[in-house]
Amino acid sequence: MADHSSNNVPSQKQDNTISLANVLPIPRSRIVLWVNIALSLIVATIGFGVGFGEGILSAQQIILFGIISALLLFLLLNYVATIFDARSAIERAETEAQKDDRQRQTKVAWRNNRIMALAMISLLILYLLLTASIEEFRSIKNLIAFLVLELILLFAFKVSGYFASGRSAFIGLIVLGALIVISSFSIEGFLSAPNVRAILLFAAFLGIASVGQTLVALLGGLDLSIPFVIGSANIALLSLISAGVPSYVAFGFVLVLGGAVGFLNGVMSYKLQGQALIVTLGTGFAVAGFTQIMTSIGSAFAGNVFGTVPGWLSNLAAMNGRFLGMKIPPTIIIWLVIAIVMIVGLRMTAWGRNLYALGGNRGAARLLGISELKYWVACYVISGVFAALTGSLLLGWSGGAFIGVGDPYLFTTLAAVVIGGTSLLGGNGGYGFTVIGVLVLQVLTSFLLGIGLQYEWQQFIFGLLILPMVALYGRSPHIRATV
Amino acid sequence: MVLRAQTTNIYLLVPIALLAVLLGTAVIRGPSLVSPAGAGSAIIVAAPLILATYSLMVLAVAGRGTIDLAVGPLLAFINVVVVKLSTSGILVSPIATFIVALGLGMLYQLAFALVVIYVRVQPIIVSLSGFLALTGINLVILKRPGGIAPPFMQDWGLGTTIFSPVLLILVLATVGWYLFTATTFYSNLKMTGYDERAAWTSGVKTDVVRIGAHLIAGIYVGLGAICYTALISSGDPTQGQNMTLTAVTALVLGGVALSGGRGGATGALLGAISLWLIGYVLATFNFGAIQAFITQMIYGLILVGSLLLTLLVPFIGRYVSFVSPWSMFLIFGFVVVGIMLQVATIDLYNEAGGVAANLPLAERYFLLEPARIDSEGSGLSPIQGLALLTCVAAISFTVAARLMDQKIHQRRMGLFQYLFIAALMLAFFIAVALRASGWSMVGGYG
Repeated sequence: MADHSSNNVPSQKQDNTISLANVLPIPRSRIVLWVNIALSLIVATIGFGVGFGEGILSAQQIILFGIISALLLFLLLNYVATIFDARSAIERAETEAQKDDRQRQTKVAWRNNRIMALAMISLLILYLLLTASIEEFRSIKNLIAFLVLELILLFAFKVSGYFASGRSAFIGLIVLGALIVISSFSIEGFLSAPNVRAILLFAAFLGIASVGQTLVALLGGLDLSIPFVIGSANIALLSLISAGVPSYVAFGFVLVLGGAVGFLNGVMSYKLQGQALIVTLGTGFAVAGFTQIMTSIGSAFAGNVFGTVPGWLSNLAAMNGRFLGMKIPPTIIIWLVIAIVMIVGLRMTAWGRNLYALGGNRGAARLLGISELKYWVACYVISGVFAALTGSLLLGWSGGAFIGVGDPYLFTTLAAVVIGGTSLLGGNGGYGFTVIGVLVLQVLTSFLLGIGLQYEWQQFIFGLLILPMVALYGRSPHIRATV
Repeated sequence: MVLRAQTTNIYLLVPIALLAVLLGTAVIRGPSLVSPAGAGSAIIVAAPLILATYSLMVLAVAGRGTIDLAVGPLLAFINVVVVKLSTSGILVSPIATFIVALGLGMLYQLAFALVVIYVRVQPIIVSLSGFLALTGINLVILKRPGGIAPPFMQDWGLGTTIFSPVLLILVLATVGWYLFTATTFYSNLKMTGYDERAAWTSGVKTDVVRIGAHLIAGIYVGLGAICYTALISSGDPTQGQNMTLTAVTALVLGGVALSGGRGGATGALLGAISLWLIGYVLATFNFGAIQAFITQMIYGLILVGSLLLTLLVPFIGRYVSFVSPWSMFLIFGFVVVGIMLQVATIDLYNEAGGVAANLPLAERYFLLEPARIDSEGSGLSPIQGLALLTCVAAISFTVAARLMDQKIHQRRMGLFQYLFIAALMLAFFIAVALRASGWSMVGGYG
């Protein structure tokens, strides 16, 4: 309906203009004609003045360009004038009913496109403000980046209507594309191999940490113990290794411990429905405190664990790590494998489908014979294991153990899940969405770092970014619609 | 038929019991708490947390799973702005400071409410967004802790007396909430929180209610920020995350339902004080270098433990439903006040001298030695003895009255009555046995 009406209007207009102005558009009114000639001449004079003043081009070229631009301007002005002529003629001719109809069509067109128009205008204003206020901002790269952004915005709004389910993924991809385009224009060496590797590596850490959060969110829960488990795994692994435990065994043991914490989380938050946020926070506190106490026993420096990280672990996650001879840190490959397994698993296996069923409607899923407790606990166990894995990998990356290494992940995992488009109410989303969210966050971080913004500004922008992203696809129905 | 008295308040059982245990331990472990200076500084230190918990409580009552994760950063934001303005000499007068603090809090909460109502994004996502944004902007406004608080609140944070302006703010905030509960707006708020659809269909303007709840929460955050500024006398942009986590914990310890519709200032107050007491008690133990870790672990364990206890509340309620939160409060109150009196008057006994009932265990774990028992019976003065008897009588009377009120409708006796009577008989035998051995329990009154 809406598309029909907006398509009709321009076609009518074109027909009329062609019939009225044959080859050379000449407005009916003499005065308009003279005004046009005057305007063209004034612009040509300004052009001559500026051209000779700059003194870059030769005189012939200046005259040539001046005449061409004056002629073009004259034609353009006349063309616009004829269009207005034609429209007034139509308006005079049409009846009251037609007028109403046309007005309504304009209104509908405005209503359908108002968000897009407002967004584009606000972007324009922002650009103009920045250009006016910041000296360094006035560059051709920024202009191109701005135009690309406007185009992407137009594209996003016009196309996203055709996506019914994967709309959040689409918007996320668009934002990701826009970010990459703008960054590569405005930051020197953004697309260089080291930078891309760094972005992917940090995305891999965040991505692995967000696996559990995604699964738990699909069921309608939350897991805030992830950062504490990451920190605990980090120091526990190093202290086990320095205590003489073979590194592979210690690695496996830490993963098992992570799973155990997840199990506790799962059972307790299942019993205390709706309190998952607090339960996991409490377990997180307890686990972090307990691990620190255990690692501090017999150590003179409480809270600090010293030791050497085994070579294979640092190769796994360090920036200069190699995978089969290639200069890619194996963590990225691990993340890739996990992502593929997760996406395919959630889509194709019965386990994955049951998870969605439970998240969507528990009662119905129970009637299908799906054990709610089993899935709930399993998701939390997976979350714990992957948090422990992230903590261990971060140990390889940094080379030293530190309990606070998980702190940035407290709300970032949640932000990645939400920006990707997984609903926190359960039943909607998937790991593919989270991957997009993670990439958006990391590319944005890299971009903000590149243009010289500090950590606090990044936080601020992350915070402001979440709202519009979620508002685009994650709005709940009005209460009127639920009664 | 069983009369279910006070079932709406039954969730207060856990916080009251927790508070009593903690307060008793705290007073024994750190006797300075009962001195005016100790109590005064305790109030000032706990006030920001209590007010932040109030703010969370109002929003939690408003429903839709609103947990304002941004409460800590918002508090820090107001703190930082006030300090920044005051350092540059713009903000001097108390009235202006209050207007700025409360205004910022209310503005933020108004924006929060409008986004929740009109953009219709889940509140938790809005609060997450606010958390990140405010945490960032705090560090932009003030790079590191520092600055000067407005001059008029320089001596607020000293904590030498109990009656400080901070206590006045706290009392006003609490009394304000109880006055508010008398209004129709409050019942609408509770109804909206409990079942928004039902409230909406029955004609409650849920949007207005929600905006109102957020504005009240904003006032509490503003007051909390003022108390916080008075406490640290400077600005600190870094404590937002901690404040959020502790306030949410306090909210849950106080038994406020995060699902909405249930909660009040009593629960929030109890929760916040309990949380502060946990820190206080743990600080009196000397764990050396691992102090911070033990504190963190105990926080977590108590949080989870108290949540698990709330699972038991309906179960307990079935068997001991004659124990209302208020009789619990009475019982625990007497016990704790007794401990406090004992600790406060310990010097008298020490002066009196006597035979110390030294126990190695007690010496090791109590900062104070236990009360010294005079060789000629106990050292209770007649007034103390009378007070003790009054307490015991009041408690027994309350329990007995509630028990009768409860059981008068029942045909069979429950397990509890057997236990109760068994305990009474045991006490009787012990008393007789002690009498026979010539030991009088309360000199002259036994």
